[in-house]
Amino acid sequence: MQLTSLGLVRGLIGYFAGLVIGMATVVIFRLVLGMPAWDEEAVWVGGIIFAIIGFVLAIGAMSDWLKWTRGIETPMHHGPPADKPAWTRYFAVDYNHKVIGIQYGVTGLLLLIIGGSLALVFRAELADSGISFLQAGTYNTFLSMHGWVALAAILLGVGGMANYLVPLMIGAEDMAFPRLNAFAYWINVPAIITLIISMLYGWDSGWTAYPPLSLRGPVGYQMVFFAIFTIGLSSILGSLNLIVTMLMMRPKGMTLFRMPIFCWAILATSLIQLTATQLIGQAFLMLSFERTLGMPFFNPLYNAAGENIGGQPLLFQHLFWFYSHPAVYIFVLPGLGIISELLPVFARKPLFGYRWIALSSLAIALVGFLVWGHHMFTSGYGEYLRVIFMISTLLVAVPTGVKFFSWLGTLWGGRLSFQTPMLFTLGAISVFLIGGLSGPILATTATDLFLHDTYFVVGHFHATIFGGFVFPFFAAIYYWYPKMTGRMYNETLGKLHFWLMTPGFWLMSLAQMTAGTMGMRRRIADYDPALGVEPVHLLVTIAGFVIAFSILLMIYNLFTSAEIGAIAGNNPWRSRSPEWQIPSPVPEHSYARPISVVGEPYDYGLAGSQYIAMSGAGDD
Amino acid sequence: MLKLPQSSTDRKHFVIVGALVLITTIVLGFFLLAILPVKAQHSVQAEPIRWLFQLHIWLIAFLFSLVSVFMLYSLFVFRKRKGDESEGEHFEGNTALEIAWTVVPLVLVVIFAFIGIQTLRDATAGGDDVRVEAVGFQWSWTFNYPNGVTAAEMVLPVNKPAEISLRATDVIHSFWVAEWGPKQDLVPGMTTRMKITPTKEGEFKIVCAELCGLSHWSMLATVRVVSEDEYIAWMDQKIAEQNLQTASR
Amino acid sequence: MAAVTTSAQAAAVHHDAHAGHDNYAAQLRMNRLGLWLFFISEAFLFGGLLATRFYLWGDTRPELDQEIGLIVTSVLLISSVSMRLAETAMERGNRKAFSFFILLTALFGLIFLGGVMIFEWGLFPAIYEGHLTPWGDKYGAVVFAMTGMHALHVVSGIVFIFIVWNLARKGSFSKERHWGVESCAIYWHYVDVVWIFFYPALYLIGTAAHVTH
Ligand code: HEA
Ligand code: HEA
Ligand code: CUA
Ligand SMILES: [Cu+2]
Repeated sequence: MQLTSLGLVRGLIGYFAGLVIGMATVVIFRLVLGMPAWDEEAVWVGGIIFAIIGFVLAIGAMSDWLKWTRGIETPMHHGPPADKPAWTRYFAVDYNHKVIGIQYGVTGLLLLIIGGSLALVFRAELADSGISFLQAGTYNTFLSMHGWVALAAILLGVGGMANYLVPLMIGAEDMAFPRLNAFAYWINVPAIITLIISMLYGWDSGWTAYPPLSLRGPVGYQMVFFAIFTIGLSSILGSLNLIVTMLMMRPKGMTLFRMPIFCWAILATSLIQLTATQLIGQAFLMLSFERTLGMPFFNPLYNAAGENIGGQPLLFQHLFWFYSHPAVYIFVLPGLGIISELLPVFARKPLFGYRWIALSSLAIALVGFLVWGHHMFTSGYGEYLRVIFMISTLLVAVPTGVKFFSWLGTLWGGRLSFQTPMLFTLGAISVFLIGGLSGPILATTATDLFLHDTYFVVGHFHATIFGGFVFPFFAAIYYWYPKMTGRMYNETLGKLHFWLMTPGFWLMSLAQMTAGTMGMRRRIADYDPALGVEPVHLLVTIAGFVIAFSILLMIYNLFTSAEIGAIAGNNPWRSRSPEWQIPSPVPEHSYARPISVVGEPYDYGLAGSQYIAMSGAGDD
Repeated sequence: MLKLPQSSTDRKHFVIVGALVLITTIVLGFFLLAILPVKAQHSVQAEPIRWLFQLHIWLIAFLFSLVSVFMLYSLFVFRKRKGDESEGEHFEGNTALEIAWTVVPLVLVVIFAFIGIQTLRDATAGGDDVRVEAVGFQWSWTFNYPNGVTAAEMVLPVNKPAEISLRATDVIHSFWVAEWGPKQDLVPGMTTRMKITPTKEGEFKIVCAELCGLSHWSMLATVRVVSEDEYIAWMDQKIAEQNLQTASR
Repeated sequence: MAAVTTSAQAAAVHHDAHAGHDNYAAQLRMNRLGLWLFFISEAFLFGGLLATRFYLWGDTRPELDQEIGLIVTSVLLISSVSMRLAETAMERGNRKAFSFFILLTALFGLIFLGGVMIFEWGLFPAIYEGHLTPWGDKYGAVVFAMTGMHALHVVSGIVFIFIVWNLARKGSFSKERHWGVESCAIYWHYVDVVWIFFYPALYLIGTAAHVTH
């Protein structure tokens, strides 16, 4: 087998070829226009844009479409490549949603490890006061990268769960637009490469990239802007695909209120991704244009009379948070969906208040659009806005609470068993609870004036992110692992993972909150020992390493069990969901026959009830 | 150990859980207050902040206990016994309950919004008996008084309402004295304001709380809160010094 | 982003049904929904640009050439009519008329673009001396951002038109099956509608401000 027959390798070649061509183009262009040939900023911008396009073209994520523009038919390809080993399909453009789902998921996991490892590095620096090995500039780069890489990990992890599960759960053959699906995945890869290259140049504004600071720093910013823009584009296309799939491809009898609950979560998530993402794309493009061309959107510019004829820094914050707040619900809604999906299975009981849970996802998503200003309480915007955003933010607690109480209703009176996925689900509930409850304390403006930009906020969002994404994501990995591989993971190692990670996590996030109330600011490489936070920081660092170790265990478990794990069988969890009624691992064409829905999804314990009927052939 | 009822609708469950919630709320509340020591204490504006923070802690303690005790209790009582392959009890929901746990939090939210507005007003109100301008730039501070005095440290009389106007010359910074409570950003192109009435004499650190580049972490200055007399003396001395400077130029 | 739209439309023609039976109608419904979702998404982009305009300009606006503005706007509106005519021609199976009208639409689009580049942007000072630069002040920056983003969509629309025209010339599309044409037309109308929001925001609302530098 030749190396270049691997899609990813071709893509990488395309990336670097594009980089060179793009840079050369800019240089030539500048020479023609009579400017000095070299301008780091402009040359890199050209290079990055061409590199990303080069990757996508070279790997062939657009080949079919390009053929269509010339009127050439391209039949849908199914199955592993005929002339290459089967695993190569994971490194090439493949239209099967199960392959794409795994591609997303594994990339997400990889990013989580990279992002987490960056955190470990700077946590080691923070373990005691004084600068020991990370200079302030490097610290800022690591911190900023940690933020974006970890957030990108979430977006991809969510994409993985959605792409793999949604079509399976609604019994569809594939996504509505398989080619678009592959395209949306593959543009992430050059974006991530670009993001990582940015570390070489550094950038120091944190993930929020507030101007004017982000207009001044090194050229690494430009790479971040385009990387995030591209990942955003992927979000938009992916969510579009998912919405169409869910609205149009459900089988007979599956009304919206009979979908597996996870689909509702993805529906709400996708609505946010489809719309809000445009705003961060736009904001980052504007930053890029302000840097390259000097268009004054955000930086004030004074004329001779001293009037500001330029931009305003706060405009960026509005645009940024209009995406980035709803984005936090992109991070959690799928996770909360996983919780709702798994609880009934391990409680052997119907999901309590299905409709309420389903609609609360939508409510969270919608209210989430009205609260972005709570990140700007101290920014100096109008006094009345503080009050409006305080009230709207507090309102989000209501639909979130509905979920929590309904989960309790689901557990109550069940026959609970505690395999690893269930443990992670329960862990998620408790962790997200403390994260969520630390939200209102930030939402009432007066307290936020004190807590803003302290480690209290850091503690808040690690708890929400771990409870809302990381724990459920791990639960999902363990739960659907038998479906994906046909084998069981190692239960003992799984439980060990849980019992290391959960206390580790509690320690980390509570200690972060403590440091915050003691006056520890965010985003600083060194702190004043007089604050008395040194022991607290040491705890956070230790906890961080414990978490990392436990994740290492999971990775070991997942790798080895794929070879030696016990054969899992079709339905080890005795679930009613459609994907468990078919063989594990799922065959190329998931459902041999169209399915139809004949009952409620979660009627565990109701004698004689049935969710789906597999032999839909007769009534087709 | 006492014998627990098996039916899920038995009243006894709820009595036990209720008692446990009460106990854990109290324990957790004091625990959280202990591990979350709010540093804001030494200004009039810090009072409402601290008060509201503690109120929140009790709310958190209660809600956290409510959910987690219910959860742990069901995990224990309704766990699957060895060899039991039966399914759980079949009930799909309860609209009255759902409405209750929508409306009760809604009421809580309204109450907290109301309290939030009050405390916000208290935490940002004050007078301008003393006025001083703080200018932030990468990565330092200067302080200008209306009478033309400029200093590298800020000096304020104790118990006098002060208005600090804030200006940034390059990127966004944020003015924060943790002991005083609130912080306020400095935004290029705008002048922002903060009202503070320090209540304790002493030396405090002014820190920059908004990431502003390489040396953000060390963008510090000192504020000295002194008695009225000391303040006047300091001001006189400064005026003298700066007049001296202008004279010698 | 043009490629994206193309994908949605073209999938109809080429999706092979694994089940074997003809599911053109089902795919068409999905394509339509997909396209409209894409529009909703884009509406947030254009909304964000409008928000930027109101945030930075408030109730002022730059001095722009009103006549030129009116002319290019009219040209764009008329192009929507010719696009509609092209689509009806295809629905009737009249390929000649289709080709004529769709090329006419592209021509109108090019005129619009020319107007923007020559008069709004002042790219060719030999013909028209523009007075705005993207880096001059907030007026220039926002004018260029809004018209630039819109022009990008017009360009992609024109590319789209040429692709569809070429495919039709080669014999693709039929009376019943012409999602490619339909999506191209809807896209074009959408880009027009966006301009209907942009035009007053740039040219009509607020008082013209004269900035000194
Ligand atoms: C997964 C992500 C996630 C989630 C779900 C949330 C959820 C919430 N967040 Fe958080 N937040 C972040 C991620 C998240 N956040 C991040 C990343 C930041 C920092 C960004 C940065 O600056 O870098 C941040 C910052 C942040 C701030 C700004 C802090 C600052 O910088 O000064 C605020 C302020 O209001 C806030 C509030 C809230 C609220 C009210 C919720 C609510 O949705 C929580 C609702 C849940 C509950 C309340 C618990 C369950 C409810 C009940 C049991 C019912 C009864 C409850 C009541 C009546 C109170 N968040
Ligand atoms: C998915 C989101 C996510 C995740 C999982 C994490 C995970 C962690 N985060 Fe972070 N964090 C953010 C999102 C996230 N974070 C964001 C958005 C910010 C804000 C950035 C900003 O301010 O701009 C932030 C900021 C942030 C700060 C604030 C820094 C500052 O303001 O100066 C701190 C400090 O303690 C921190 C710590 C940690 C730690 C210790 C972990 C640990 O849980 C990490 C655990 C480790 C792993 C998950 C990796 C697994 C590793 C292995 C398996 C080992 C293999 C590798 C080797 C052997 C080398 N994070
Ligand atoms: Cu100035 Cu941070
Ligand atoms: Cu938020």
